[in-house]
Amino acid sequence: MDDMQSQTQVDVVIDESIINIPAHRHREIGTKRSSSPVLARFHAGYFRISLSFCGQALLWKTIAEPTGASFAPRRLLSMFPSKAFALLWSIALFILVTLSLLYILRCFFYFRMVKAEFLHHVGVNYLFAPWISWLLLLQSAPFLAPKTFPYMVLWWVFIIPVVALDVKIYGQWFTKGKRFLSTVANPTSQLSVIGNLVGARAAAEMGWKESAMCMFSLGMAHYLVLFVTLYQRFSGSDRLPAMLRPVFFLFFAAPSMASLAWDSISGNFDTPSKMLFFLSLFLFTSLIFRPTLFKKSMKRFNVAWWAYSFPLTSLALASSEYAEEVNGEIAHGLMLVLSSLSVLVSLALTAFTALHTSMLLPDNDPIFLSAPNNLQSSASKGK
Amino acid sequence: MVEQCCKWVDMEDNKCQNLLKQDSPEELPSLLKYIESKTVSGFDDIEECGSLNQQLQSTARTTPTSDPVCALAKRQEDASQATNSERLHSVSISMPSSPLGNDLESNRKVLLMDNDEMDVSRKNPNFRDTPVDVSSKQPKQAKFHSQPIPVAVGIAYVDAVCSTGKASGPSEGQLRNSRIDEFKDKSFDSFKTWSGRLERQLSHLRGKQCDPEPEVNTTQNSEIEVLSVDRYFDALEGPELDTLKDSEGLVLPEDKQWPFLLRYPISAFGMCLGVSSQAILWKTLATSTSTSFLHINLSVNLVLWCISIGLTALILLIYSLKFILYFEAVRREYYHPIRVNFFFAPWIAFLFLALGAPPSLAKNLHAALWYILMSPIFCLELKIYGQWMSGGQRRLSKVANPSNHLAIVGNFVGALLGASMGLKEGPIFFFSVGLAHYIVLFVTLYQRLPTNETLPKELHPVFFLFVAAPSVASMAWANIQGSFDYGSRVAYFIALFLYVSLAVRANFFKGFRFSLAWWAYTFPMTGASIATIRYSSVVKNPVTQSLSVILSAISTLTVTALLITTILHAFVFRDLFPNDIAIAITTKRPKKSKKQFHLSSGNSDAKDIEASLKSAGSDGEGTEVSLRSISVDKK
Repeated sequence: MDDMQSQTQVDVVIDESIINIPAHRHREIGTKRSSSPVLARFHAGYFRISLSFCGQALLWKTIAEPTGASFAPRRLLSMFPSKAFALLWSIALFILVTLSLLYILRCFFYFRMVKAEFLHHVGVNYLFAPWISWLLLLQSAPFLAPKTFPYMVLWWVFIIPVVALDVKIYGQWFTKGKRFLSTVANPTSQLSVIGNLVGARAAAEMGWKESAMCMFSLGMAHYLVLFVTLYQRFSGSDRLPAMLRPVFFLFFAAPSMASLAWDSISGNFDTPSKMLFFLSLFLFTSLIFRPTLFKKSMKRFNVAWWAYSFPLTSLALASSEYAEEVNGEIAHGLMLVLSSLSVLVSLALTAFTALHTSMLLPDNDPIFLSAPNNLQSSASKGK
Repeated sequence: MVEQCCKWVDMEDNKCQNLLKQDSPEELPSLLKYIESKTVSGFDDIEECGSLNQQLQSTARTTPTSDPVCALAKRQEDASQATNSERLHSVSISMPSSPLGNDLESNRKVLLMDNDEMDVSRKNPNFRDTPVDVSSKQPKQAKFHSQPIPVAVGIAYVDAVCSTGKASGPSEGQLRNSRIDEFKDKSFDSFKTWSGRLERQLSHLRGKQCDPEPEVNTTQNSEIEVLSVDRYFDALEGPELDTLKDSEGLVLPEDKQWPFLLRYPISAFGMCLGVSSQAILWKTLATSTSTSFLHINLSVNLVLWCISIGLTALILLIYSLKFILYFEAVRREYYHPIRVNFFFAPWIAFLFLALGAPPSLAKNLHAALWYILMSPIFCLELKIYGQWMSGGQRRLSKVANPSNHLAIVGNFVGALLGASMGLKEGPIFFFSVGLAHYIVLFVTLYQRLPTNETLPKELHPVFFLFVAAPSVASMAWANIQGSFDYGSRVAYFIALFLYVSLAVRANFFKGFRFSLAWWAYTFPMTGASIATIRYSSVVKNPVTQSLSVILSAISTLTVTALLITTILHAFVFRDLFPNDIAIAITTKRPKKSKKQFHLSSGNSDAKDIEASLKSAGSDGEGTEVSLRSISVDKK
């Protein structure tokens, strides 16, 4: 790790020196002259944006489904026009494709940076984010029914990287000397669990119960370990920079996705799903009542703010399934509140991003994820 | 030693005088001479001081300054050895257990309080104490008795004495007394609600005369700070974190008995838990099919239930008084890493009362009651679990201790009650939250992380709390699911295993000081018995039935033994409510340079002081030089 750090540091120097030289860079990236090109500043954390949009697409697909609810506002929501939903889905697809292309290009040109991301305790978890987004998009596709052949193929295409990453990362947790779970655990580690759970849900939709159970149990076993470790906060709060506090919302994203996955696997929203949903609700309430935790990160706009959106969406999804099952007024009311909250937050974040586009790709990303900057800053801080 | 002390005091005559001249204009020669003639015979003598006492009570004194002198000479016993004898020797110096803990000002206050307590005939309207513990036996066993007073502290005492004990006339005596009152009040003011302002309001409302505003407000305000959890770990030790470490001091006087409310800990609610769980046990014994062969009458349950209602009401009332009048003390208990868990105890006790209600009453319980009972638990656990998850200094790896089970078990008890009342979603909510956090806590406690500072190294009755959560969870799950299915059985067997593994180590549970919190550790045993009875009604055979009878007998016997011990401590030993040291720690660690003043052995120290004083000059500066040399010596 130290070698890699020093190597990458050296790399940065070299890279920066050749930035102004090659003209072909402009053709590929299309940026103005800045201290480092977009690709160098882009990192997997930007997939939070695609996560949010794909999550929103799935939420609206679920809400717009015809429902047997007696609650009037709920029935109103199910009349959400399919054209609007198709538009939303297309926007999500477009964003995801753009981000994926950018990242592929980054892999080609700045592979060392990608590698450094992989070795970082926060960055590695965001390598799951593209696959989660693709799986969510697949599940919410308006034209692709679950039991069709293209769906299955695409599922395989997206699930294999997830499993490969699982094997690598989970194995590292308890075998690799420098990357034990107790040292690297942080709230973003729950993204790996979410990846498994989303894959399980997609498989269950296809009717593949065994694969679904396999992914589910894999995710839940590691979620158990991770939950305990994160709650213990063994290494204190210094593993996560203050700017990344929004990722605490992932604490309640994981149980809600688990609740949804179990709901798909078992066919109805029974007691384990309810329990997971309630846990997620409790953690959400607990975080909502701690605004000071997030104060520091709210001072400057940065892409980490997008971390607020996806967990809220998954909680809203779980609550909609819960309301379907229980069919009480409180449940429906809760679902409405959570859904509107998630939509509002996503819209607000979109507005913020549109207003602060210049800040979206900061030169020196304060939150790490541009590996060399972080390594420089971490070296200077003497971590 | 006594003689040395007197000699020292005598020797210090001139020096003291000089030093005092710097501090205050009063003169002392008569004071010290009085010591010389009187001290030897009356130094440790209560009667002597008692006679001095009586002298004090009449204000027409020719040498009224003698009382402070006597105070200089006498020591008061450690306040925790409470007896019921009269207050005869209130003339004494309250030497702090570690003199570094208290600054000179608080020493002064202490001294003056002692002077006030001498005045037994005067009824002080603001005097809130029960008759302070005073021992009539020779306080030779007392830790701080008859030790040479370090020069600086001694001089401060004398100074304090001088400033109040100047006059000989009755009016001045009364003035002194009222000032003494004032100072006495102020010592506990930092713990009173709004620094005593509420209390003054109340006494004003009652028509009594208001005391003037406290002058020492600023120093006391500094005590009203947020205590970080590290301070508790640094200052306290022991399995319940209630024993003061040697190097620490308190903000309240240690050798006085504090007001009753200040000594009343939140762990008193453990008694409610213990008794009300017994009510549930006897109800289950009477109504369960598997124990019907015992022919237990439901009246036992009724009696126990009424007793527990009364007890809970009483304890709640007293604690509410403490909450209203001594809010600062409640706050400090809340910041204590172990006591905070006991804040769940009142609500769990209410839940137990609802669970243990006689069957005729239990039918009519309204569902709204459940929501009302669970909302305080919900709010508390939002706060506490959130702290575990995100709080830097109160994260779980640091503060995890077996008492945290009290914070978890409330969820399961609430789920049990809700499910037995017929609710569906709410019980599942609390069950899932409790289960998730129980898993975290269980793993953390089993790990015994090296960063964990609160786990007792040896076995302690608090470990019985391990049995609480799985046994109640098994019953709650059985009620939620409608039958004692596999989930319940898994949880029950875990509880049984933990119980057995603790019971076979029963001989390790020795040598611990009894405290009220022990009551809280009995309800897990009762819970395990109730779960066994539930299990035996499903799996009915002689083994399970006998097991349920045995466990019930053990739990009842334990509660009875505990009751006897409590009564003993309450009425015979009179130390059921010792000074609650855990809430009175200082906010800052006492400075290391004062460590030398901690005199643990009398003689050698006296000689040292004497020698250094002899070597010093005869002027005031010399005294200061000797002070410094003493500090050098002690290093």
